[in-house]
Amino acid sequence: MTFRAAILGLLLLPLGAAGALPLFLEKHCVECHDAETKKGGLDMTALKSDLQDPKSFAAWVKIHDRTVQGEMPPKKKARPAAAEQAAYLGELSARLLREDAARIAAQGRSVERRMNRFEYENAVRDLLQAPWLDIKESLPEDTEAHRYNKSGEALDVSHVQLQRTLTAAEEALRSAFVSSVAPADTATRRHYARQQGSYVGKMKFSEFNMSPERATFPTLGFKGQPEVRAGNAPATVGKADPILRDEEGVGVVHGSYEPVEPWFGTFRAPQAGRYLIKLCGHSVWVGPGKTKSKGQVRWQIPDLDDISKGRRAEPVTVYALTPPRVLRRIGTIDLGADVTVAELDVVLKAGESIQIDVTRFFRSRPGPSRAQNPLATPEGQPGLVMRWIDVKGPLAPQWPAAPYAVLFDDLPVKAAPKGAALPYAVTPRDPAADAERLLRRFVRAAYRRPVSASEEIRFLPVIQGALKSGSSFAEAMLSGYAAVLCSPQFLYLREAPGPLDDHALAARLSFFLWNSPPDAELRAMADAKKLRDPAVLRAQTDRLLADARSRRFVEAFTDYWLELRKAGANDPDSVLYPDYYLDDHLLDSARDESHETFAELLRGNLPARAVVDADFVFVNERLASLYQLPPVEGVKLRKVSLPAGSVRGGFMTQAAVLKVTANGTTTSPVIRGAWVMERILGRKPPPPPPSVPAVEPDTRGAVTIRQQLEKHRTLESCASCHTKIDPPGFALESFDVMGGFRERYRALDGKTPEVGIGKNGQAFAFHNALPIETYGELDGKAFKDIRDFKRLVAADERQLARNLVGQLAVYATGAPVGFADRAKVEVVLDGAQAGRYGVRDLVRGLVTSELFLNK
Amino acid sequence: MASYRPAQAPFVAFKRAVSRRRFLAGTGVLLALPMLDAMTPAFAASPAPAAKPRRMLGICNNLGLVPDYFFPTGKGKDYKPSPYLELLQAHRDDFSVFSGVSHPDVDGGHPADNCFLTAAPHPSSGGFRNTISLDQFMAERIGHLTRFPSMTLGVNCARGSRSLSWTAGGVMIPTEERASEVFRKMFMGGSEAEVRAQERRLQLGQSILDAVGGQAGELRRTMGARDRDRLDQYFTSVRELEQRMQMSKEWERKPRPVATTPAPRDPGSPKEYMDKVRLMYDMARLCFETDSSRAVTLMLDSVNTPALDIDHVHTTTDGYHSLSHHGRSPKKLEQLKQIDSMHMTLLAKLMTDLKAAKEDGQSLLDRTMILYGSNLGNASAHTTTNLPTLLMGGGFKHGQHHVFDTENNYPLPNLYVSMLQRMGIEADKFASSTGTLRGLDFVG
Repeated sequence: MTFRAAILGLLLLPLGAAGALPLFLEKHCVECHDAETKKGGLDMTALKSDLQDPKSFAAWVKIHDRTVQGEMPPKKKARPAAAEQAAYLGELSARLLREDAARIAAQGRSVERRMNRFEYENAVRDLLQAPWLDIKESLPEDTEAHRYNKSGEALDVSHVQLQRTLTAAEEALRSAFVSSVAPADTATRRHYARQQGSYVGKMKFSEFNMSPERATFPTLGFKGQPEVRAGNAPATVGKADPILRDEEGVGVVHGSYEPVEPWFGTFRAPQAGRYLIKLCGHSVWVGPGKTKSKGQVRWQIPDLDDISKGRRAEPVTVYALTPPRVLRRIGTIDLGADVTVAELDVVLKAGESIQIDVTRFFRSRPGPSRAQNPLATPEGQPGLVMRWIDVKGPLAPQWPAAPYAVLFDDLPVKAAPKGAALPYAVTPRDPAADAERLLRRFVRAAYRRPVSASEEIRFLPVIQGALKSGSSFAEAMLSGYAAVLCSPQFLYLREAPGPLDDHALAARLSFFLWNSPPDAELRAMADAKKLRDPAVLRAQTDRLLADARSRRFVEAFTDYWLELRKAGANDPDSVLYPDYYLDDHLLDSARDESHETFAELLRGNLPARAVVDADFVFVNERLASLYQLPPVEGVKLRKVSLPAGSVRGGFMTQAAVLKVTANGTTTSPVIRGAWVMERILGRKPPPPPPSVPAVEPDTRGAVTIRQQLEKHRTLESCASCHTKIDPPGFALESFDVMGGFRERYRALDGKTPEVGIGKNGQAFAFHNALPIETYGELDGKAFKDIRDFKRLVAADERQLARNLVGQLAVYATGAPVGFADRAKVEVVLDGAQAGRYGVRDLVRGLVTSELFLNK
Repeated sequence: MASYRPAQAPFVAFKRAVSRRRFLAGTGVLLALPMLDAMTPAFAASPAPAAKPRRMLGICNNLGLVPDYFFPTGKGKDYKPSPYLELLQAHRDDFSVFSGVSHPDVDGGHPADNCFLTAAPHPSSGGFRNTISLDQFMAERIGHLTRFPSMTLGVNCARGSRSLSWTAGGVMIPTEERASEVFRKMFMGGSEAEVRAQERRLQLGQSILDAVGGQAGELRRTMGARDRDRLDQYFTSVRELEQRMQMSKEWERKPRPVATTPAPRDPGSPKEYMDKVRLMYDMARLCFETDSSRAVTLMLDSVNTPALDIDHVHTTTDGYHSLSHHGRSPKKLEQLKQIDSMHMTLLAKLMTDLKAAKEDGQSLLDRTMILYGSNLGNASAHTTTNLPTLLMGGGFKHGQHHVFDTENNYPLPNLYVSMLQRMGIEADKFASSTGTLRGLDFVG
């Protein structure tokens, strides 16, 4: 004992020779946390007292926190006297604070970082004024630190990263240039469905597809055209009769999925830019099959000649297609029973075409049985007809368009000779002078702070060298610009320890709220050194939030905070969840809903408790049906008030969140519980022990995950963590892998499967099994279901707000809330308390806090 | 037959993912020199210069193999060969066979072939975008060590819609269909003008890197240690990329290897599918013998192949795709079996040929991993699970049947991680991998 005390005393010496520390530890901690027992993996005698070492600093913070929370010393041991403990904690926290404050003063909270790939794409798009540029997917996925892609310690650079950045920069500059000189087309062009091989070709059956439900069919007005379908009449009246031609269409009863993927191939965007697209179509009703098989009428098989007017509108997703199969969602529309013309104002990349998907329709995938249309009835089934699309573009207020001016100001441009590297040639008035002038201009726009006159022309030798070796003026300039876009001044966010200067502050603010560099106004504020004025900063915050670019913040933040970016991983199982399997529209809508909800919290400055409990949701037809709410029609999300007693409202019960926290096949209270603790409640769950296998749900249906966990929790060593982690997950067991409400588990085994047909055209093969149990206990308070649970957590509004500020702080500054930062967070919370921690107030408070104003 | 469209674009995809490397070049002069030694790079950033050259050929037959005749019984070293594997038994210790493997969430039937080396999920769904393929991932890291960072080959590929090679941005690298063109690129190369254009392109890239790297000193001076470390990573990357560009540039002026065989004649008709496959195997072998590239892919677009000549004696009654939907018809199954058997015979020959070729006293097969597989487990039903998978050569402990769960498949990307590591590339993840392939060990 004496020996140990001596060692401990020595070790703790740098922490302060005299004082309450060693004595308290010796008396209350070391008995279990010594080299022999090492309870919970902690050996205090081996713990370094050097607080400059991040690991031992973190360990001491943990010791501090667990003592404050009363978890240590454990309940069955003798309690330290209150005064004794207060003295110990006071001293420990003072030392930790001192150390943390010194570190922050010397180095800052965050570390130098480069832009992540989203920021880089936005930065280049904004700089070149070319919103179509597609960059981020070409760059390696950024690793995350503290759950976000905003921290220097994770944003590495390798030669692969640099090579891809250079390639991406060159391609972006080239695309901005060639797309902005002149429009390839100025007229509106109509592309008829009847002109499309992929529409018309599928009218005929082939060796590989004899199924009427996977064929297309011709219509005129709202009637079928048997002669055309049989190939006995021409596929179209063509130019001879423009009026009749406009009435011709091609229909489907099947969603867009291999092998039925009709698209408007006669249109390929001739260059990148803004386009206006009109889509003309309408729903139809397709008669039931009349043929008999084994005495039964096969009504499920559509009669493609028996067409009549549709009975409802059909939701449609519109994609930009780059063949063979890259699909980018560019809009959602409803096509009604009457002829509907929907308009989209979109940005297309060069070469993109248009493909649509009728989202309610099934996608036939092979399985044990012949695929059947789940929407078929003995009276027939719904169909959708496309008539034509009109395309106008590329559009710009004037030509050459904005990107050209960024690159070449007002220099004259003409077509380049054949075989040149670039299709256009720029004619300088004075090559040397213009090169220098343009480069200075470009650098001033690209870099986020003023640079010296010599810095502005750092890359002039690149341009001069290129000109000397035979490059055209435009080519040489683009090389110089590529260097700018790969330079450390562009890639890295420069922040010096201490208070941020105005330009660093401007950058931090715009990368926070726009996920991109400051615009001219923010730059001007920084130039005038006005930004550190809290009133100005708040006004700028409001301006940025009011701008459309703040949508980038909403999406980028929630994609990491709530992991929405992973919502597409782990398909709903094709056997257990055939009603969700292959439903892209459901997944898209779910993600949109979560984004829209956060946007609403910001817009309306709603109290932080709305994170867990709100009286509204954003739904469209598909989500309303998933949530079993009163039906709404169409693809557009809208805010609806929830009926009293609804389980919905707040992020925890949203489809995207419930999907992210499941694996497509099963749900686990452990995983959902840990997720809710960390992301919503702001308490870091203990890590899983390395040697114990996870408790996995069993899909056979004889035992529930809860029963398995209860067995697991009879072991004391497991119980201590699981009593903390599992409760939120128990409350969420009411929700299946896609967020549908359930009262029973689905299982593979059973006597008779549920009746129905999945979106893949396969008969249901799952069974309803054991009932769900959702009761639990959180911090000693019992709850019986999700409604109860929400009430419990919503009661601690300050904690919900504290978590949100912590999440925003990592996103905005790249560093988590450290020991010395805690008081600064409380200041933000105090400022927002009167408004019940309005989310917008929290953002404004964070921006004007010490956390944000200093590196 | 009607659906067949021969590749017309004279595009050769021997490129690295850097745009400036898009154009090929060569001296156009044939010079005699010892082949492999001449290719040894002057210096190399990574992997270690002394490392053995290792290579990969990835092959996808997009109609797969009839599973009943392919998968062996028994597991481990004592497995009993299936009818198809019987044809490979001369090389029993030089290949491994896997069952119960597939790419997680890669569904959608035929379109999944483009994901065979990328494992990007949901190739048929809205919002799909492909990701980097295994060969391109390799090329980014070791591509500068050879004249061609990678080679993308194809047989009967539907033009512009099928390839195993995809860039990081999800852009397809078109296949080269003509063996004669592959041969020309390896042994003859482009015109002087092309060489100069390529050199100029690389020169421009180097001058950019030179300029952005030139400010290390000034920037570093103003920073604290922790921040400086981060920026140093950037400048290290600049230097590494410069070295690689330098090496790529040097290739333009290095003499080409001497052809010891005459240039091949390209089969004129898609019916000569099997001849095309054999020729492409020969081209891949030549590529490895001359160390022209270390990452080669070959898409066998069987779906797009008409009734074919199997062995210069037998011709099938139906198109390949039609045969694959055999509906248990004995006539169709018998023909499929003949086709598949010829595939096995050609693979056996490829292994024999690579064994005969030596490098530093070791057989080329031991340094060349050949992955043969398909996106379809059972083409008749379009299933994308239980993929027939063979790994030959390349320095693994072979001779085994690796058995995984046929209900709940083991991730095939794990094999790709094993292959990357065998290549000497530091990678612990590829696409949806969860580790390296369990039970597959290195030798040699």
